[in-house]
Amino acid sequence: MNTLVWALASAGALASALAVIVQRNPFISAIALLGNLASLATLYLLLQSDFVAAAQIMVYAGAIMVMFLFVIAYIGPRGEVQDERRRGWQIGAACAAAGAILVEVAWTVGRSGLTSAATVKDDFGSPKHVGELFLTRYVGAFEIVSLLLLVAAIAAVVLGAGARPNRVRMDERQAKVRAARQLAAQREPGA
Amino acid sequence: MVDGFIVTVIKGFALVNLLMGFFAFMTWVERRLIGRFQQRLGPNRVGPAGLLQPIADLGKLLRKQSMIPTGARPRLYLLAPFVSLTCAIGAFGFMPFGGLATIPGTSLTFHLYMADSNVALLFVAALGSLGFYGLLIGGWASGSKYAMLGGMRAIAQLVSYEVAFTLAVIGVLIHARSLSFIDIVHAQSGWYWYILPQFLGFLVFMVAAVAESNRPPFDLTEADGEVVAGYHTEYGGMRFAMFANAEFINAITLSALAAVLFLAGPEGPLLPGPLWMLIKTGLFLFIFIWLRATTPRVRFDQLMSLGWKLLLPVATLNLLVTAFFVVYGSSHA
Repeated sequence: MNTLVWALASAGALASALAVIVQRNPFISAIALLGNLASLATLYLLLQSDFVAAAQIMVYAGAIMVMFLFVIAYIGPRGEVQDERRRGWQIGAACAAAGAILVEVAWTVGRSGLTSAATVKDDFGSPKHVGELFLTRYVGAFEIVSLLLLVAAIAAVVLGAGARPNRVRMDERQAKVRAARQLAAQREPGA
Repeated sequence: MVDGFIVTVIKGFALVNLLMGFFAFMTWVERRLIGRFQQRLGPNRVGPAGLLQPIADLGKLLRKQSMIPTGARPRLYLLAPFVSLTCAIGAFGFMPFGGLATIPGTSLTFHLYMADSNVALLFVAALGSLGFYGLLIGGWASGSKYAMLGGMRAIAQLVSYEVAFTLAVIGVLIHARSLSFIDIVHAQSGWYWYILPQFLGFLVFMVAAVAESNRPPFDLTEADGEVVAGYHTEYGGMRFAMFANAEFINAITLSALAAVLFLAGPEGPLLPGPLWMLIKTGLFLFIFIWLRATTPRVRFDQLMSLGWKLLLPVATLNLLVTAFFVVYGSSHA
């Protein structure tokens, strides 16, 4: 049973990862990435990491990918790749890099002596355990990451609010509407 | 899986069918209730008191011509309702309906819940937000501007209310010290229902739940005066029915979630657990229907400012105060 689920999830992860880079349409790529995240979450479940799996779905699939899709849908057909030409050296370089990573992974796994499934304690990866680690051993890293995210959020707001003239125009328009209303009220008292 | 594979499959089959039957019954209840709210009768012709109306509706929907609009992307267009409905039903896998039950006349026992996990609540929340992909994909793949706008509105609404919703739920978690529904229900035994210590959290939860289920007065995604029918504008027949079904089952899930988190779910005197669960879920569903019958739809800017400027600060405050009292306060927590 576990092996079957593992095989399905692994195949799903590979196929969806491939679809992410092969698909021309960014919207469909994003949906394929979603499938990849779901497959990975299934693999985490098999590794007794319920919390990581749930967090993966909730944070990445539930929040981050939603924003991806939102932006892609918002930009519309402009987001689709127009330039169909692909340079040979790009494909070659990509294949070489992928091969290098494969060798690296195979070498690392082979050297680490991983032969059988790891045995872990029952509370490994439980919300309580993860929470304790976050607030004790890794509290520094945790806080620094939150600070980094805050900086990124502020930067996004600053970049997004660049369109000041628009706001001025809105104020002008509102002032015009207000003036028109006052005029109407003067002409028709009680209306 | 607490009962082994075969029993869990049987339980799942029974649960999905009961849920669908309950859904059909509730559509009748909703229409009759709204009829009463508006001083008219509601459906009362098909069968006794109109009870067979859902079956007549099903017959009508099944016989509709099914077509795919020209501008649509067929595969995604067909996929979208499945995404919504699967996620909506899946969330029920963790709902507790009681403890151990015995089949009458035998010594066979089984649990009145499908699965228990130490992160059950996270999974239900995650499935809830995954369901929104159905709306966005459906809206985008329809190739229609109104459907697109409806889908975008759904996502904006989800992002705005998800945070307040989660923060409101965390208040309960701090009290129960667990994410498992079974533990949360146990922690409320002896009439210590979390609706009392978490009343503020409960209010935030209810408002956010109505917004998350896209039901009136927060049904901006399908506001007929503005975006025709929103994300399901281009859907007809059973495909439309699947979206409507998913939306209503989401309302049922959120009602059941409210019952578990704030009213101790299947706990209660005299009556068996599943009945208590039904009564409490029904109570919250009635509130959902009540809201639909009596409140006008909010404007989009009102929706946004309510979510970000009121619910989020209140939920954060509730969370901080709860954490403070649980750490330094009463003996009960």
